[in-house]
Amino acid sequence: MIDFSTDQLDALAEVFNIGAGRAASSLSEIVDSDVKLSVPRVEFFKSSEINASALNLTSDRIGAVRQHFSGSIEAEVMLLFTEERALNIVREMMGSDASIEELAEYEQEAMCELGNIILNACISAIADILGVTLDTTLPIYSVDSTELILSQIVSDAGQPVMLVLHINMTIEKHDSQGNLAFILSSTSLKELIVHIDRHIQGM
Amino acid sequence: MPVTKPSTHPLSDLVINALKLGVVVLDRNGMILAWNDWMIRHSGISRESAIGQDIETIFESGLPNSLKTALNNVRTYKLPVLLSNALHRHPLPLFANLALHPLDRMQQSISITPLVDQIGTAYCLIQVADSSTSIKRERLLKDQSDRFAQAATIDSLTGAYNRRFFDERFKAELGRAQRQQTPFSLMLLDIDYFKLYNDTYGHPAGDRVLIGVVQALKSRINRSADVLARYGGEEFAVILPDCGSQGSFALAQKLCQEIVNLHIPHSASLISNHVTISIGVASLRPGSKCDADYLLQLADKSLYTAKAAGRNQVSSIDNGECTNFNSECQAT
Repeated sequence: MIDFSTDQLDALAEVFNIGAGRAASSLSEIVDSDVKLSVPRVEFFKSSEINASALNLTSDRIGAVRQHFSGSIEAEVMLLFTEERALNIVREMMGSDASIEELAEYEQEAMCELGNIILNACISAIADILGVTLDTTLPIYSVDSTELILSQIVSDAGQPVMLVLHINMTIEKHDSQGNLAFILSSTSLKELIVHIDRHIQGM
Repeated sequence: MPVTKPSTHPLSDLVINALKLGVVVLDRNGMILAWNDWMIRHSGISRESAIGQDIETIFESGLPNSLKTALNNVRTYKLPVLLSNALHRHPLPLFANLALHPLDRMQQSISITPLVDQIGTAYCLIQVADSSTSIKRERLLKDQSDRFAQAATIDSLTGAYNRRFFDERFKAELGRAQRQQTPFSLMLLDIDYFKLYNDTYGHPAGDRVLIGVVQALKSRINRSADVLARYGGEEFAVILPDCGSQGSFALAQKLCQEIVNLHIPHSASLISNHVTISIGVASLRPGSKCDADYLLQLADKSLYTAKAAGRNQVSSIDNGECTNFNSECQAT
């Protein structure tokens, strides 16, 4: 299996933090208040190692915003939040006077937008900094049992590697944690490493 | 003829204009290349005025910042962007019915997708969906489900909670009181000689008494955690979390008095000229162990005592602790 050096992981975290910064400024504009977004940690897992505790998802149900990225790196990218956190985030984005019940009807679309902003920002940061071209689909949001969503990830044998970004998000002084999971084929992973190394040497 | 103009096909034009969706195509500088019939209908801007204009200036009010940023991001990063209705409501000045309701902006969901043709020219596709119908439908469903949820917990005649709600809440609150070691009381109350009242005054009058009694009880049961439920025909139950025997006994006496004060004539009553109630209370001290059925039996026993002692009064059993279901408890 591929081992990453600390330098490589640091470089990746740096790239994603640039993406997170872009996403935060887009989000701040939408919610009209300060949104902070950071990627404190980047980790690699084999698909077989993935489970709820590895991702710190302590809930029976999670929400996943998914986009497929293609180009020089092929990846299925998912933003994962516990269902409750997803609802809270949407509530904070819409203003605190909206009730959870009222939100249910919009939840899906709003989560898609939130996920789209964060996913696009991270992907565009990779594309910019590592000098690759990437294409993507519009986001799809699904809420399901944690087990089911994770099993979909694990079952895809063609994409055996997963890059997990731990995301901290603060909206109106409320902190939330989520994960961004890049599910990559080993070819795409090698491609990513080549680009990272090139980036590190260029620094 | 600008080089960026996409080749058009008569059939695709027909289709685009028949769509129940707003379609706008921009060139890489934000110049409008396509503006379908839906857009004309809902914006009031003709195709002639739209084509060749800058999207940022086509609407008198300009574009909201969120949309400008989104367009910019699509152009810069070539990644599709979504503007959800939840977070933007109605970003564009579009109207469902411009002639009839020129001030009612349509609820919208917008998606913006980068397009690149065979020779590498970049375009930007904006799709606008009218989300008002889905919002209306969801609101209707929510109203209905609220109504069903209410109907499932409320007794339709009196407006008190129903038996089903009581059964659930009673077990939950009793469990909570035992876990958190807080006092807990349960009241069962009965309208005295209610059958005789019905026989004398008729059922419609009897229904009015039930409604009046519940209103009077509600006016005295003020804490939000307390639950007044219709337990059976003329029998009611009150769940009193965090309330010990003294508090619940005092409240029960007030409730009795409240009903006496209503002065509802009851010529058939064997103990009074007015409608009265009898109340049985069973209380648990903090940390006591007792299951729901047993506490209910104690309250019922207590109610029986109040009736046997002449009705229009309160009887209470304190600390229905039991590990043995046949243990004797002290009636006060």
